[in-house]
Amino acid sequence: MSRLDRNQGLLFALPALLMLAALIFYPLVYTGVLSVTDEAGGFVGMQNFSAMLGARLTATAFWNTLIYVGFSIIFQMILGTAAGILLNQNFRGRGLVRSTMLIPWVVPGIVAATTWAWMFHTEFGIVNYMLMSVHAIDAQIGWLTNPNTVMPALIAVNVWKMFPFVAIMILAGLQSVPETLYEAARVDGASFRDEIRYIMLPQLRPVLISVSLLLMIWGLNAITLIYAMTKGGPANRSLITPIQIFRQAFEFFQLNQAAALSLVFFLIIGLIMGIYIKLSEERE
Amino acid sequence: MAASARTKPIIYLPVVALVLVSLFPFLWMLISSIKPLRELYTVPPTWIPESPTFANYAKVIFDSNIPRYFLNSIIVSFGATALALILAIFASYGFARFGFRGKRYYQGFVLVGQLLPTAAIIVPLYIVLNWLGLINTYLGLILVYLILTLPLSVWMLIGYFKAIPVELEEAAIIDGSSRLGVLFRITVPLSLPGIVAVVVYAFVTTWNEFIFALCFATDSSVKTLPIGLSEFSTEFNTDWGAVMAASVLMTLPVALVFLGMQRLFVGGLTSGATKG
Repeated sequence: MSRLDRNQGLLFALPALLMLAALIFYPLVYTGVLSVTDEAGGFVGMQNFSAMLGARLTATAFWNTLIYVGFSIIFQMILGTAAGILLNQNFRGRGLVRSTMLIPWVVPGIVAATTWAWMFHTEFGIVNYMLMSVHAIDAQIGWLTNPNTVMPALIAVNVWKMFPFVAIMILAGLQSVPETLYEAARVDGASFRDEIRYIMLPQLRPVLISVSLLLMIWGLNAITLIYAMTKGGPANRSLITPIQIFRQAFEFFQLNQAAALSLVFFLIIGLIMGIYIKLSEERE
Repeated sequence: MAASARTKPIIYLPVVALVLVSLFPFLWMLISSIKPLRELYTVPPTWIPESPTFANYAKVIFDSNIPRYFLNSIIVSFGATALALILAIFASYGFARFGFRGKRYYQGFVLVGQLLPTAAIIVPLYIVLNWLGLINTYLGLILVYLILTLPLSVWMLIGYFKAIPVELEEAAIIDGSSRLGVLFRITVPLSLPGIVAVVVYAFVTTWNEFIFALCFATDSSVKTLPIGLSEFSTEFNTDWGAVMAASVLMTLPVALVFLGMQRLFVGGLTSGATKG
């Protein structure tokens, strides 16, 4: 290819690259500037950082974020993998079941949030009604207003919303597993459980790693469910860091402190993802 | 295909459970949306509405801001999808067909956008948009939505473009066609499934987006549906019938787009992931 052709390739990509640079890189750099200045633009050193990191709320929010994202991923992966393997089996109506299973993922996040909020309604919610009619609970539970149940309830909704995505990716991964592997295993007398353990899961490793990474990022991004269902309450028990950043910036109008918190959040996420990618590469 | 020899009836147990878990909240939303208030607030709840009514829908459509938000959502989603598609077609073609210095890094850079925690950039984005006078405008939202739609769109299209035989393009160039002519007369039409997948992905993502809309579109003239719905449901005296009706109305466009093109979309998502 000629030299002209080479530059042509970059030329094609340039508009998209410039847009992304303006929308991502510039803001990131700007966050750094904001985090060490005050409202008037004067340099204040680490003052914003110490104000944010010193606040009790920050530690609470970090902890909540960790719990929310961690438990969500664990259950999303388990349920999603099980559903993916199930949908890879032969049964009547498989196509229809595959489409139906996607519904939670397709329904807009805010719709899922409002619907579940109504289902979790203390007095008239269907969840309390069903649990009480099978005597699983004795009295109505205020799922979203009780400090002890709010997090599990939110995690359950998040798992319900995202497990279909895991299942679809697992299904795609399973379909690229060569049939000969199963045949060989069957000749050796492998049971279905052996097939899962020694063929499916090892073959799915790359899919599992990239899917869990995506879930982590989406989990950390996800304000929608929590903001719409509890706004971080009761008593900050469901307040996660993204909501804290939002509040600091748009409710208390302390943009500089919010920027400092954003930066810390960004660095910690980067660190976690870096370690995760490194670990998964090393185990290859 | 796997394990076809040993499919047993017992498999229907988890299948039924899966369908119930996936479908139930959606069904409950539909059922609740056609119940009158009196019936919503009864214990025990009725499974089949005793006096079904469309009053909730009428209320949402004629007595609320929801139709306006619906229109705003349509404008923003279409705008953001079109812009992402155009930029992604050019970028993917450049990446798929040419070798140039630093290509790997540019490709990686595009993907990084997908990995970014959005909460970490809302503050500077707000200041930049404010400076440009784009807060509370359609254009402002459309631009920031590129962060969400562009990276994966580029990634998916690269896979599709690479799958088209390069000989087809070379033949057209020998016949005197320009690069752009080749791109829009041969490559794009041949990757129609990929284009559809990108459109569906971008539309659904922007239609459902919440946090950017919450921060950058606070005026009711540009507010999108998700924000409208969340306000609707957190009002002091929530009218759950109307909220459920609004939820149904908001889900309809996405569900239609998705179910109509589901096979194409899921295929695009996975092929992009493996070929990219």
